[in-house]
Amino acid sequence: MDAGPSTSLADRPVAVSRRRILARTRLDFWLDGLLLVAYTLAYSLGFTGIAVHEWLGIGLGVVLLVHLTLHWDWVIRTTQKLLRRNGRERFIWLVNLLLLVSMTLCIASGILISEVALPALGIALPASSFWRQVHGTTATLTLILVPIHAALRWRWIAGVARRFVAWRPKRSR
Amino acid sequence: MKFLRHFTAVVLVVAVIVGLGMLWAHTSGGGTGHAEHAPPREVILRVQQIKAGVIRVQSGDGFSLANTSDLIRTCLIEAVLVALVITVSAAWRRRRRIRRTAVRGSG
Repeated sequence: MDAGPSTSLADRPVAVSRRRILARTRLDFWLDGLLLVAYTLAYSLGFTGIAVHEWLGIGLGVVLLVHLTLHWDWVIRTTQKLLRRNGRERFIWLVNLLLLVSMTLCIASGILISEVALPALGIALPASSFWRQVHGTTATLTLILVPIHAALRWRWIAGVARRFVAWRPKRSR
Repeated sequence: MKFLRHFTAVVLVVAVIVGLGMLWAHTSGGGTGHAEHAPPREVILRVQQIKAGVIRVQSGDGFSLANTSDLIRTCLIEAVLVALVITVSAAWRRRRRIRRTAVRGSG
């Protein structure tokens, strides 16, 4: 899928204002949280029902594109320096690549086997056992990779969460 | 402008992955079929029934509280994996720190 957080001190240009970093960190944090919650809900088909599952999956695809776009700098930088990076960075890159492939195929196959969303839009596609199998396999693979992807950045998540908890808006008297 | 450029690159990468998936489906003979393959009769019938309202399509308010166990199971799987990765990562960092301290101490 993506990328790690783009706001780590080592990866950001020094000239960027503090205020902008905070806004970007906030956007990354809430967007990543939204993706995690949306995927968790989408995977729980029995809870959501087929209609919510499908529309949520399509929405997830759109948010995923935005998430990837926001972290594209990281993708380019890490890919270019892949051989010079340490083992951990290489492992994160590999997990992210696998997640990107798995989630893309999961969403694409989900659209191709859609029973509610596409017919509601007047689009009819023939049923395919191949895409049904791909959807099941990639969904399970994504379920394994999403928590690994998030947990590999747990220090950043914990750091931002701590800052949110500590942050208090200034009160005018 | 930068966002648009990056967005285009992302869409291209995603298109390549989907394209490779389509190729995979085509080579294994399991694709959705195109102009030369007509959709199976039961699919056409099903779509016609949905359009005619014979088959009622579930609307967006499909959350089923009776199946919360499904959601809980997903959350549990994710929580276990997160805990596992964090534990391994923390142990790895601690080991690296101890090794560094030992090297500094001997040097």
